Order: sequence, then structure tokens, then C-alpha cells
Amino acid sequence: MCSGNRDKNIYRPIETEVLDVVTESPAIKTVKLRPREELTFQTGQFIELTVPGVGEAPFTPSSSPAVKDTMDVTIMKVGKVTEKVHELKKGDIVGLRGPYGVGYPLDEYKDKEVLVFGGGVGLAPLRSLMFALLDRIDDFKKLYFRYGAKTPGDIIYKDLVREWSQRKDLDFRITVDKADEEWTGHVGLVTTILDDMDVDLETAIAVVCGPPIMMKFGTFKLLELGFKEHNIYLSMEKNMSCGLGKCGHCRIGTYYACKDGPVFSYDKIKDFHDIWQ
Amino acid sequence: MKFITNENLAELLDALKEDYRVFVPVKKTDIGSYPIKKGAQRYYREYEEFTDDIVIGEVRPFEPLKAFFTAAREVVAKGFTSEVPHQEDKPFAIVGVKNCDLRQGFAVQDHVYKDHDYEDPFYVKNRENNLIIASDCTCAIDTCFCRAAGNQPYPEENYDINLSPVRDGYLVEVGSAKGENLLEKHASLIEQVGEERARERDQQRQRVTEEVDSNIEQYEVPTYSKFKSDIIERNWDSDVWYEESKTCVECGACTIICPTCHCFFLYDQKDGDKMERLRVWDSCMLKHYARVAGGENPRGELWMRLRNRFEKKFDFFPKVADFYACTGCGRCVSACPAKIDIRKVLKRLVDNV
Repeated sequence: MCSGNRDKNIYRPIETEVLDVVTESPAIKTVKLRPREELTFQTGQFIELTVPGVGEAPFTPSSSPAVKDTMDVTIMKVGKVTEKVHELKKGDIVGLRGPYGVGYPLDEYKDKEVLVFGGGVGLAPLRSLMFALLDRIDDFKKLYFRYGAKTPGDIIYKDLVREWSQRKDLDFRITVDKADEEWTGHVGLVTTILDDMDVDLETAIAVVCGPPIMMKFGTFKLLELGFKEHNIYLSMEKNMSCGLGKCGHCRIGTYYACKDGPVFSYDKIKDFHDIWQ
Repeated sequence: MKFITNENLAELLDALKEDYRVFVPVKKTDIGSYPIKKGAQRYYREYEEFTDDIVIGEVRPFEPLKAFFTAAREVVAKGFTSEVPHQEDKPFAIVGVKNCDLRQGFAVQDHVYKDHDYEDPFYVKNRENNLIIASDCTCAIDTCFCRAAGNQPYPEENYDINLSPVRDGYLVEVGSAKGENLLEKHASLIEQVGEERARERDQQRQRVTEEVDSNIEQYEVPTYSKFKSDIIERNWDSDVWYEESKTCVECGACTIICPTCHCFFLYDQKDGDKMERLRVWDSCMLKHYARVAGGENPRGELWMRLRNRFEKKFDFFPKVADFYACTGCGRCVSACPAKIDIRKVLKRLVDNV
């Protein structure tokens, strides 16, 4: 964590070049960025991306934290800043601040079974986590990947997902809520593809990331299966504006998502009200 | 005991103008020929000369002290350059600051902006450079309930020098090295008087304390020792929130005027072909405060936002920092056009437990 340095302006973004823009789906693009000053992150941490003169919004990088000089951010078009992000072209200049918050404590996952459990656009931050986990896959007892999208058309990173599906060292299953004519895989909510796992429930880790409704019912399903509260890691994406624990917007109970999270184990936040909203 | 006469204080303030932008509390009972309906208005005005409307004692001005430390609107970044944008040429010297702003007001603002992993360079610089000439309250007004929030009606900490209004002038106390240096520099303006003058100050403090206590009794304001029992948690599903928020017009005045409220949003605009980033005060009572991208709003209803405001003051801060984020200054009571009264809400919360 960065300590107080008064020559440093905590609100200043780092000048960053757009190296490439990839269209993942009609509403989702990935921008490849190269900050002009060092900015590295741990998987699960987030950054604030500035479109100059338009505004700033928080995103979790979707690239490997091991890649130090560039960063991918996968962004769904939902508002003022993200609309402008979707208009970016190679060579444009944007700003980055961060990284902020606490990421996934991967060292604590050592020698355990790890389930990566995602829904919808939650795959973007989980891609970064998957890169980090696959980089050291021998550290874990077994790695499970379970993911659900609304329709086959909503699945992003198709080539990468296909590559993962063929790995022998990864227990991989995906599902869609609603199939199309070409889909031959599983159909049903993401909570329906957890039943075939054989894990030590005392120690098994589950990392959940997706839209609020998926996080909520996904967590309840994991608890029902016997996962322990302190082994379920949730990525809580609130309205993180300053990223510094000052502006007040992202408070969850006695925490700020930007500073104490965005990754929390379920036991830490379960007693707060309205965490799923 | 150090003592300064009215004339010498005027001289001191004149001298301070050299190094500071000096602000003094003034009191108005009319605006031109229009009388102010409810008594008087007290506010800070930049000092030019020692006029009759300057009132060093009495009670807090309407503006919270935080405005001198984090401006309501401040440019905090320009483009990608690392330099901190240009601030005021001169620091502020703020005169007549009261304990509600000094003690819990600074406790919260320091916690947020200073004692943290990330220091806000603007706030830290203002805290170092601004000068605070505090003063005792010499009366209580209807909305004062500082002692219920654990404060005294006279400065206890966080001042450079303090003035206690007494006959013919002020007793002067030093609260910091900066205050000490200032008095040394202007030693010719300071007189020594006997310890017996302290009795006059102490009697006045006692009288104002009783006035505040009588307010607390009259409005049945619960004292802070009664807040300790998780009143927000226990009232989570209570009707209090809905009922008390029914008249709210969502103006945000209660948070803007509050010496402890610190929330802001960052706003970017174009500055030529560059970006200019502003830090602007925000209010958790406003509808879109907690809204996230895509439109989800965890506190879409007004009563949820009222509950959230109380949770932050009376649950979050005691848990993370061991103090309540209410100073008992009563400004939100005066400011609210819907007559939502924090004292009454607190009483209902405590009574419900």
C-alpha cells in the first residue's frame, strides 16, 4: 500500500497510451493500455480509468498481473465514461490511477482446491485471476472453472475459453441460461453446474464474480454445498469514485470497497445490510 | 495570564493580513432594511477593518470550518502533470472558531484526509499553513447541543491561540508552537494580567455550559453515552426513517453545512485540450450518490438515504475511529427547510431501543 507522500498528488492520473481496442461483443470492448509510468497490479485490485475531460470510472484489469508494461481492461458500455471508452482508437491518450484495494490472497490458496465461479461480464476480472492461477497451477490441489452467461452470444474471450476447455489440468464447465441453435453445451443457471465437484469443503476456496444477483445466489448455493464462509471470496463492485477511502461513496458497513476490498471473504461482510444491492 | 485588548486585537488582525487572508465572524440582524426573521445570521467575512458587526464570542458561524480546509469546489489535477495545482497565495487565518468545529469536526476531517494511507495534499497543506484563532462560546443558541455530543462550549484542542472574551478584551491561551511564535512576534500587543481574571472566564464558561445543558434538557436530546448501544442496528427496520424523511426535499443542506460530512465526487472537465479534475462536495442524501454504472442504486428511496446518513455518523465512525461524527453544532437543524431535527431523530432512536 502506498504510504503518505505529500509530493504525490493522489488525484492525478498517469498518462496512458491506447495500444489496441478489441470488440468482444456488441456491448463489450477490451482496451490494451500502456501507462507511461510504472503501474502494476495484483489480480483483484482495480484501477481508475480516465477519459480526459469526460470522467473517470473504476475497472478491474482483465490481463495477467505478470505482464508489467501493458494492461487490458474489458469494458461494457453502460454509462457516460464507458460510452467514450468504446469510441477510443489506437493511439489515443487516456489516464490511469491505481492500483487500489486488496486483491485475491493467492498465497493463502496454496495446496487447496480452488473454484473460479463467474457469471456474465464477471469473466473480465476473472480472466486476470485465471492467468495468475494458471501461471502457478502446480501450487493448487485442483482448479475448477465454472461460468455462466445469458446466451452463447454473451460469452466473451471465445478463443481463450475454448483453450481453457481443452486443458487437462483444469476442471472446466460452462453453461448458458438460454441456448441458440448451435449451442450443444449445458443449459441452465450457473448454480446448476456445481454439483459434480468433489472437494474438501473445510479448505476449498471459491472465488465468485458476476452481477449482484449471480453473486447472491451463487454464494447461497456454495454455502448450501458446504463451502465455508471464510473460503468464499466475493468481488464487491460499488460506486468507487476516489479509490482512496475518502469520497465516501463505496461504503459497505464499516468498510470501503475501494480500500478494504473490493475482494472480501464472505464472513467479513455477511452481517452488513443489503450487501447484494 | 496573557491578555489582549480590543484595540490590540484589531492591530493584531491588521498585522496578520500581511501573511494571511484573515476571516472573522460577523453577525447581522438585518439585510439592508429587511430584518432577518429568526434572530441573527452569523457568518465568516474576510477581514478589512475592525467593524462593529465582528463578534468574536457568541456561537459558531453558519458556515462549517471545513470550507477553509477542503473547498466546496477545488481543482485537484490538471492534465497528467504531477505538480499539485496552484492554490491560494496566502493561507487562511480564521478567527472566532468554536469547539464544535475544532474537536469532532477536525477529528473526522483529519481521519479522512490526513491520517490515512493516502494523504490529500491540499488538506494537509491547509492544515499546516492555516492559522486558527479560536474563541469560547459566550452564549448558546436554541440549536446548540454540543455537550450531548461530548464537546464543551469552549476550545479544547486543535487551535493555535484561543481568545476567551472577558471585560475590556480577551484572555489569550496558546495551543500550538505556531500560536506561540505568533504571540512572540507580536509581544507588544499582549499584556500580562493576574490569575484572578481566569475566574471571569471560568464563570462565563460555566454559564454557557448550563445554557447548553438547559437546551439538551428542553429538547430531550440523548447524550452520547446513550448512543453506545448500536442504535442504528437496532432501529434498522424501524418506521423512524420513513416518517422522518417524509418532508425531506433532498437539498443536501444538512450534509453541506455539517462540519464532519466529508463526501465528495471527482468531476472532470476539459481545460483547453487538457483535463481538469475537480473535487466537489457531495451529499449522501442525494438520489444518485450510491448509484453504480448500469443504473443500480442500493439506496433508491429517500428514507434509506436518511438511515445511511445516521449510520455513517453514529455507527460507522464510532466503529472505525472511536468517535461520533456529530458535533452538536445544530447547523443541520437550522439549515433544513423540511424541519428534520437531528435531536428529535436521535431521541426517537434511543427511545425505540
